[in-house]
Amino acid sequence: MAEKLAIVCMSGPEDPERATIPFVLAAAALASDVEVTMGFQGNGVMLVKQGCAEHVFAAGFPALKELIDAYIEAGGKMYVCGPCVNSRKLDPQKDFIPGATVVNAATFVKLFTEATNVLNY
Amino acid sequence: MSVTPDQILDCSGLACPMPILKTKKAVDALQIGQVLKMIATDPGSSSDIAAWTQKTGHELVASEQEGDKFIFYIRRTK
Repeated sequence: MAEKLAIVCMSGPEDPERATIPFVLAAAALASDVEVTMGFQGNGVMLVKQGCAEHVFAAGFPALKELIDAYIEAGGKMYVCGPCVNSRKLDPQKDFIPGATVVNAATFVKLFTEATNVLNY
Repeated sequence: MSVTPDQILDCSGLACPMPILKTKKAVDALQIGQVLKMIATDPGSSSDIAAWTQKTGHELVASEQEGDKFIFYIRRTK
């Protein structure tokens, strides 16, 4: 059975390195035949809000938008924390990039308990 | 180098993780047994390609350095 990696992003565009590095790892993991799901909680939800990643750049890394596009193209999955979306007055149906699914705690619990490894950023 | 590549991929100037992502795509496009020649300028590529071939099971047939270029020959095994 394939290895499964879950990666949690708690930081948004206010910290470009902390926003970018999880996507670097996620894309490299997919390229290494590891299944990957990224979870976005706290201000991390802003990374997958429509029109946000285009403005995030970390020195020494590809642009965040390029990494997200590569991640999605390679089959990466994305879960977005429902309460974190609600508290920011965002629309779970309309405000997120295609492929980003707004979920609640039990879905995260299932993800983390079934993952081979969980990385927290 | 005695290995004759079937395809060549130039990742010069690309930052991590793009060389690995492009290498993955290029190797997937080969027939089993064929060899990809990958060229990179990121010094981290040496450890990365070694780790990636170990992880995926593809074969790192040979590697060499020419000036600032790191060159890898990778055979698709499956």
